[in-house]
Parts: sequence; structure tokens; C-alpha cells
Amino acid sequence: MKNRKIFARLYLYFILIILYVPIFYLIYFSFSSGKNMNKFQHFTLAHYQTLLQDNRLIAIFLNTVILALLSSLIATIIGTMGAIAISRVRSKKHKQTLLALNNVLMVSPDVIIGASFLVFFTALGIGLNFGSVLLSHIAFSVPIVVLMVLPRLNEMDYSLIDAARDLGANNYQVFSNVMIPAILPGIASGLFMALTYSLDDFAVTFFVTGNGFSTLSVEIYSRARQGIDLEINALSTVIFVFVLVLVLIYYFISTKRGKKARGIMRELIK
Amino acid sequence: MGVNNMKIIELKHVKKVYDDGFVALNDINLEIESGKFYSLLGPSGSGKSTILRIIAGFSRPTEGEVYFDGKDITDLDPAKRQINTVFQNYALFPHLNVFENVAFGLKIKKMPLNEIKPLVKEALHTVRLDGYANREISELSGGQQQRVAIARAIVNKPKVLLLDESLSALDKRLRKEMQFELRAIQEKLGITFIFVTHDQEEALSMSDEIFVLNDGKIEQNGTPVDIYDEPINNFVARFIGDSNILPGRMIKDFEVEFANKRFQCADAGMKPNERVEIVIRPEDLDITEPEKGKLVVIAKTQLFLGDHFEIKALDSDENEWLIHSTNGCELNEPIGLFFDPEDIHVMRKHESQEDFDARLESYEGERDE
Repeated sequence: MKNRKIFARLYLYFILIILYVPIFYLIYFSFSSGKNMNKFQHFTLAHYQTLLQDNRLIAIFLNTVILALLSSLIATIIGTMGAIAISRVRSKKHKQTLLALNNVLMVSPDVIIGASFLVFFTALGIGLNFGSVLLSHIAFSVPIVVLMVLPRLNEMDYSLIDAARDLGANNYQVFSNVMIPAILPGIASGLFMALTYSLDDFAVTFFVTGNGFSTLSVEIYSRARQGIDLEINALSTVIFVFVLVLVLIYYFISTKRGKKARGIMRELIK
Repeated sequence: MGVNNMKIIELKHVKKVYDDGFVALNDINLEIESGKFYSLLGPSGSGKSTILRIIAGFSRPTEGEVYFDGKDITDLDPAKRQINTVFQNYALFPHLNVFENVAFGLKIKKMPLNEIKPLVKEALHTVRLDGYANREISELSGGQQQRVAIARAIVNKPKVLLLDESLSALDKRLRKEMQFELRAIQEKLGITFIFVTHDQEEALSMSDEIFVLNDGKIEQNGTPVDIYDEPINNFVARFIGDSNILPGRMIKDFEVEFANKRFQCADAGMKPNERVEIVIRPEDLDITEPEKGKLVVIAKTQLFLGDHFEIKALDSDENEWLIHSTNGCELNEPIGLFFDPEDIHVMRKHESQEDFDARLESYEGERDE
């Protein structure tokens, strides 16, 4: 019994190590003063300095962040409305169909989505630039938001809505004072999921970008093709830390422990 | 306050049919006077909550009208009715604290915060939750949440307060306590309470008037004493309290036959030899020696319930008799049962409430009661 427990734990560590070793290997060499990852020379922040001086890269980084924020925000609004609409569908069959259509987009490969957007935009004569990337990012983020918000809507106690109406609230007041607060954790999770999806998307962006507009993942890919530069390691480290912070924020919002912490925060703000 | 007998709510021929064809309410007519405590009593599915939802405005009747203060409010939005509801599961807003929950209705009405504060304080005082304003809802017990729900409703000074099975989630001791308190709050505020419940004890102990519902129809309405002492039919007799119900035959006015014997009774106004049902409440049966009893039965089981014994006995026709007595008896021995003519209540089959009331009127005037 005990042996089995130890084995299970070892297995878990093994898997985690395999998953994280490449990333840490990459991070490790981002601090090495050398030209390649063959041998760690000595500690330096030189690659991070070059990164800071690389105006093109900084512009692309800002592009990526702005794109992620904008697309996730718009997708959250559309997705939340969509989830509310789906939750209001009375017929079960109808509801299932809508959900299935939503989930198909979730599971279909990015390459296919990217390629189909490329065909779509070209056919409509829409230029490939920031706009086309934004549109496609919104499109693949909406189903995620729907999926995060819908369970909250299903869990919501509908007598709360009756109670608000009973106390004199009109439709808008019911929506803003009762419904939104009740599903807010779902909306926030959806927003952060959409944010991370947009930040690390490569395949879709690769297809629909053009006219000099680029995101970090596409830029790293094109640079890596010309030979590994340790500046890319530094950049990857920055992205990794950035995403890690986002995940921690998401954890903070979505879990019970996070709830407690939020309560403390609210007290502090008061 | 009791003098004010103004009609505040009236339902006229209200019918509710759901999409699947289920008839929840069938031609409901009822009048609610202001300042009284009403109960809608019935088993689940009897339509009592549907009536409440129609009065609150969450549900529209399929047919019929609802009047409030003489005005037709059948299609009026719930937000515009001077009626507030205490929900079965309380429906408190989880993201708001106690103060914010109670203040919700006033804030919606755009009342300034310095006017809201004293009103909320007063409402919390009425439900004995002084000092709880800053608590989170999740920190409160079921009984306290119940009180917040009442405070949230009464702070709006409604003319009518609806309570939907509001005590059913509480444990027995707390429920008893809340029954007294609800009645006290109602008397203090002087507004109309309409309380929905399936618990007959609750309805009997709190109400000025009870509507007994079954299958979407009002079976009987009246004061708790009326309904307990003069149930109109088998359903009401069984639903309200324990009872012995036997088939019988009305020989003539004030004389009825059941269990193969004739007895003096206090009922009249029926056809001679009409088939009827008789009801005798278990606590109206007294145990005596066999020779002094009006009926002789043999006790089969006996349970001691603290304040009385519950005895089940059989008569010579194998009719079962339920007896509540402060004294116990010997099992499997003959005992006598004694009861007064007034303890026998005779029910006609399929008698409407109007006919029932008219018949009672016709002969009760002659007697002392």
C-alpha cells in the first residue's frame, strides 16, 4: 500500500519534470553569456538588455498584449450574452444543438480555424492586418467564454431574479444588480482564459496576419527559424512569467481560497 | 386594527393552465381583507404557491382577474405592486451583505442613503437582528437568513406580505419560535400576511383565516376553529388534524346512525336517510367503563406521546378508532367510548361551501352557539 503511494508520487514528479524541464532549461540559458545553449558560460542579464533595446520586439510585445486585452474583452461581452441566450432557450434539443456548435469550435484544430479564416477574409477582400487577427482571436475566444459562463448561469438561483423584481427592479436593474454579480466569477474566468488563449495563439495568427503586423509567438517562430538566439530565451522567459502571473490571478479568482483572499481585499479597500 | 375590514386583494375566477396542459388552478375566487393573517394550506401540487405567484405577479393567470385595492392588477409588473414576498429559499443576494440586501428595494427606488439607513435599522430591529447589518449572508444561520428575508420585504412598507413556505427549511424548535414571531411582526405592522404552507399545525396556530386547497380548488375557508371543528368534507377532515371518519346515515334532524347505532347529534338540514360521513376528533373521545360508554371498542395498540396516549381500537364492525386520552388503558380489553352530541360532525358528500354555510345558518341560529 505504502509502496504504491510512493510509486504514484514518483510518477507524478516524473511527469511534472518532463513537462517543465524544457522550459526551465530555456530559462536557465537565458541567463548565460554565450551565443548558444551548448554550455552555460556565466550569469548575465545581457540578453534581457538586448531585449529591452529591441524596439521592434517591444512593439510586437505591446501589439500582442493589446490584441489579447481587446479580443478577450470583446469576446467576453459577446460570450456572456451568448451564454445568457443559450441558458434561456427552453427546448432541450435546441439548447444541446447550440452547445454542440459551440463545443465544435473549441475542439477543432487551430490550423483548420486559421486556414478557414484566411479563406474567409480573402474571399471577402478583408486585408490581413491587426483587424483580421483581432476578428479571428475574438472568434476563437467566444466559445471559451460561453463555456465558462454557462455553468454559473445554470447554478444561479432564479428566485433571485424574482426577488429583485419583487423589490421593484426593472429588467436592466435585474441584469446589472443581480445577474451579473451572480455570474461574475464565470465571466472573470472566461476573460482570463480568453486572454491566455489569445496571448499564446500561434497557428490561427500565423494564417491571418500580414502587412507587417505580428505577435510574439509568430515573431519567435520566424526568428527561431534563422537559428536560435538567446534573446529568444529571454523573451520566452518573459512570456512564461507573464502567463504564470495570469494563471495565478485566475486561480485567485476561481477558487475558494481565492474567495477568502478577495474578502480580505474588499475589507482593505473599504 | 382588526376593525379595518377593507378588501385589499380579490381573485375572480382565476384559472391557471400550464403549457403541458396541467390545470394548476381551477376557478379560484378569494377575498383578502387588509390587516389579517391568512394561510393558504394544502398538499404539494394543490396550487397554493401558484396563487401566491399570481398575487405577486411572477405568473399570469390563464383566465380571470386579480384586483388590488379595487384596481385590476392582473397584468401589472411585480415591480409596481405594493406587495413583497419572502421566498421559500429566502433568495437573498449572496454577493451583498445584510444591510445591502435589506436596502436593495429602497436603493432601486433611488432613496438617498441617509434616509435608507434608519429604515434598514428599524427593519432589522423588527426581526431582532440588531447589529447584524455588516454580516455576510453566508455567515448567517437558516433562521437568521429567514429574518433578513423578512426584513428585506417589510422595509419597503408593502400593504401585503406574501410568505412562501417560509418556515419549512427550519428545524422544529426554530419553526415554532418563528411562528410566534411572524404573528407578532404581523400584528406590529398591521399589514396583511398571506402565508403558504403544507403544515396544518402552522396554519392553525398563526392564521386569522385559512384557505384549504386541493387539486387547484379551494375546498374550504374559514377561521382555524371553524375549519377544525366543522370540516366540510373528507379531504379537509383528514388534512386538518387527526380524525375518525366513518360512513353513516342521517335518520332525521339531530339524529345520525353509524357503527350500527343511533346517536344524538348537532347537525340538521339534510334529507332523511341521506348517506353521510361522520367525523369525531380523537381528543373528543373519552375512555370510560364499557357499560357507561356510547360505544364499546377493544384497544389494540397504545403509544405514550408525552402529553397524551394515542390509542388505536376496533369496534365490533372492525372500524378503527383513534383515541387521544390523558389516561392509558388495558390492551385487548373492552373499553367504553363516550362523546357529546356536539363532538359528532356530519359531512354531506359534495357539498359546496355556500350550501354548507347556508345550512349551518339555517339551524344554528335556533341553538345557543
